[in-house]
Amino acid sequence: MTTKSLTFPRLFPRPQAKWGIWSWIGTVDHKRIGTLYGITAFIWFIVGGIEALMMRAQLASAEASLIDPETFNQLFTMHGTTMVFLVIMPLSAAFFNWLVPLQIGARDVAFPRLNALSFWIFLFGSLIINASWLTGNAPNGGWFGYAPNSGTTFNPGLGMTYWIVGLNILGVASIAAGLNFIVTILNMRAPGMGMFKIPIFTWMTLITSILIVLAMPILAVAGIQLQTDRVYGTHFFNSLGGGDPVMWQHIFWLFGHPEVYILILPAMGIVSEVLPTFARKPLFGYPFVVFAGAVIGFMGWFVWSHHMFTVGLGPAVNTAFAVSTMLIAVPTGVKIFNWLGTLWGGNIRLNTPMLFSISFIAMFTIGGLSGVIHASPPTDSQQQDTYFVVAHFHYVLVGGALLGIFSGIYFWWPKFTGWFLNEKLGIANWALMMIGFNLTFVPQHWLGMDGMPRRIYTYAENMGWENSNLASSIGSFLLGVGILVFIINVFYSMMKKKMAGADPWDGRTLEWSTSSPPPEHDFDEIPQVKYRDQFWFDKYPETISEYYGHNDDDQAVPSGAQIDDDGEAAELPVVSGGADDGHGDGHSAIHLPDKSYYPFILAFGLAIFGTAFVTDGLVLFAGAPFFIWGLLGWSMEPVND
Amino acid sequence: MWTFLGSDVMFFGAFIATYLVYRGKSLNGPYPSEILNIPITSVSTFVLLMSSLAMVLGLHYVKSGEKNKATLWILVVVVLGAVFMGFQFVEFREFAHLGLTPRTNIFGTTFFILTGIHGAHVTIGVLWMAFLAYGSHKGSLRADNAQDLEIAGLYWHFVDIVWIVIFTVIYLISATDGPPPGMESVIHG
Amino acid sequence: MTNLWRKLTYHNGNGWWNLPHGPSNELNPPHEGPIGGVWLSNMFRTMTHGGVAHAGPGFYWLIGAALGIITLLEVWLFGVEGLGGWYVPLLLGLSALKFVGVVAFFMHLRFDHRMFTYVFVSAMALGILIFVIILFLAEFGHQPPNVF
Repeated sequence: MTTKSLTFPRLFPRPQAKWGIWSWIGTVDHKRIGTLYGITAFIWFIVGGIEALMMRAQLASAEASLIDPETFNQLFTMHGTTMVFLVIMPLSAAFFNWLVPLQIGARDVAFPRLNALSFWIFLFGSLIINASWLTGNAPNGGWFGYAPNSGTTFNPGLGMTYWIVGLNILGVASIAAGLNFIVTILNMRAPGMGMFKIPIFTWMTLITSILIVLAMPILAVAGIQLQTDRVYGTHFFNSLGGGDPVMWQHIFWLFGHPEVYILILPAMGIVSEVLPTFARKPLFGYPFVVFAGAVIGFMGWFVWSHHMFTVGLGPAVNTAFAVSTMLIAVPTGVKIFNWLGTLWGGNIRLNTPMLFSISFIAMFTIGGLSGVIHASPPTDSQQQDTYFVVAHFHYVLVGGALLGIFSGIYFWWPKFTGWFLNEKLGIANWALMMIGFNLTFVPQHWLGMDGMPRRIYTYAENMGWENSNLASSIGSFLLGVGILVFIINVFYSMMKKKMAGADPWDGRTLEWSTSSPPPEHDFDEIPQVKYRDQFWFDKYPETISEYYGHNDDDQAVPSGAQIDDDGEAAELPVVSGGADDGHGDGHSAIHLPDKSYYPFILAFGLAIFGTAFVTDGLVLFAGAPFFIWGLLGWSMEPVND
Repeated sequence: MWTFLGSDVMFFGAFIATYLVYRGKSLNGPYPSEILNIPITSVSTFVLLMSSLAMVLGLHYVKSGEKNKATLWILVVVVLGAVFMGFQFVEFREFAHLGLTPRTNIFGTTFFILTGIHGAHVTIGVLWMAFLAYGSHKGSLRADNAQDLEIAGLYWHFVDIVWIVIFTVIYLISATDGPPPGMESVIHG
Repeated sequence: MTNLWRKLTYHNGNGWWNLPHGPSNELNPPHEGPIGGVWLSNMFRTMTHGGVAHAGPGFYWLIGAALGIITLLEVWLFGVEGLGGWYVPLLLGLSALKFVGVVAFFMHLRFDHRMFTYVFVSAMALGILIFVIILFLAEFGHQPPNVF
């Protein structure tokens, strides 16, 4: 049989460069894509932070007039949207990209070009959302975009259109990335690595990816419905036509609550890696942590109406959702006790990543407890839309997700770059962030209890809110200084370059077994896995008996340890789409997928499609050539030339 | 691919749920009972179902290496898909002619957006199949990379099963829906 | 029953009646999906004669015909008067049957790795569960504002 294939004429030669901008645009390497995610997200983090500081500056004193109400609306909308979709999710994605293949002993993700596509779509989507600032039409309907406030009647500008289009484009990127990681984790584990031997961060990635894949389409539906309401005059959320604004709230929070766990679970995974390493003990109750994560991922779907206690769904519904909301605190509590159990009796080294992780536990517990408080509908109806809620979710998202991410940055930085971040500056960074963070958000609890509503651009002098607000504003600037110290730390350490070896922290998981930074093919030889924390036992085989009660390599793992379907890992078929499969087979020559610029072009075409909604429908025709070029070129391009 | 389909389940699920929540809440006509044409839609449903059959046959012949038969059956998929889209186009025009547009009432809104999104899926599928039929004709789609067709096939079948649900829920079950209770007097009074 | 099937379907020719198999022709393929259970599994083993991993066209025509008939049945039910409260459940049941038919056989989920079934079925189950809750909420939890 002839091996004829369709070919698509190349306009440019396939990128081969190892350095320079073309090597980045054409990259399909998971480590480079992870770096791109990290840098982009960090830039948006600074943007979102500046937005927050502007709001805090305005609120520092009563009846201030630094910022007009319209801008204030845009600021809080964009701050929320940026921090959720452009900062925490992609920062987590940066870790997914960097670590998942390394932790499971693979050479890349399952679909490297799809991975590149996710990043480029994310980049263009984030640019579209933020381009709204340049046109003076930034979204101003809140990050939740409640209809009908986000409809054309009350919001005639283009702002919410930017928001919808941007989020839908970001949704495509997230879904593609989520699919990629699910397939990667299920199919590309190293030989012998059963599901209950994969590192806990990879487990949390898996659960997060499943949540992303299932939740993002719901956001897309909400966006499409709102957009047709706005543009074509449909009646999804228009009560005059028979629609119902409450439906928007249902659909949005149906997405929105799983989203909360999408944000926090990766940070939980990071902390669950950092704590065992620096306590020099295995994670306490690994299966419990896994199952708690899975239960959170499942129950996260059945609590959404707690965002809507004051809508008037009736006592029966409110009670049901109050119960499910309180129940979801149980698996979260399980995890907290597991982390404490990990620390208990450990040989603890208090360095920067560990400090961040321990503060994560404390701050997240506070945020979790204030969450349980307003899981009760009567209490919640007092707190709804007050600063108490603001304080709660910032304790969870900043004190939780962000501290976890910083812990991960300090922990894995030597692996990513080959050199350490400065420890003294790191501790200064941690201390400033902790002081600033608590000074910002503790007073907000009081303000909320005192009845100060959210999303107001100013307040009267005689309300008694001035002192707390001032403290909060000072704290937020301290927090900003803390972040600044981190940036200084990065540049300072880059100049000093205190080099790190392959395994600087005496780590436990496979990523520490390869050099720092890892070679392009990750592992010279695909590792063989027999135990959870395989790398640790490779280094200290004498401890096997300590944890498993025997030392004989040929014996099965005895009772007490979680046994799993061992062989299954190797047997799984390559899932559909395996043409992109870039992993080597472990013993013959290492082959990696070649670089490709088609993901970039496809994403560019999609981005132009997106801009058509905020400019002119004819722009669609400008995007089509890029889109078709990317699609056809991609589908006919072999993985390797 | 199955994971992607799981994702798409939520996508269509949300649309169908919206339809169901809003079912029978239209404040003005035309109502489903005045406008849905079951016999015509039954034919188009049947067409889509048979395209799924053609799809598996195409896949079978690709795998057994019978190139011409494979190309033929994939082309049948394309044609049947296009016929289905034609039916939908005619239906949309007919409804617009009878005074039902997405702007008319909540039934129009939910109906047009749901079936329109489904139609967009069918369109993507038809283009995809046309591309594969061309590949099969040129001999680049062979038994060793039949997986390409298999994935496209999974997508196609998925679009088909979504239509199975839509046909049942929107057409057969809703076809007798008139004005919501208490509204008859408003209309006639 | 088993013998009848054997007589009806036995064909020693060009594989026209070959039926889908598990990954290999072992008696109890370990990766067969859960749809259909033991009964169907035994039935298939009876009906299968060769070591072919995928179905012959005859089998697909058979399924296609069955799906077509169900569709006709649905449309016929639409015309039947006096079904009352049975109409909707009956239709839902029939379309569920069609749904499973396409997923299990055309999309060969029945013969793929069990994991695919779990992935798809769990997504379906979650989706159905959540959207049923939404329906209940919309029905009982919240009365839309009376605009008149």
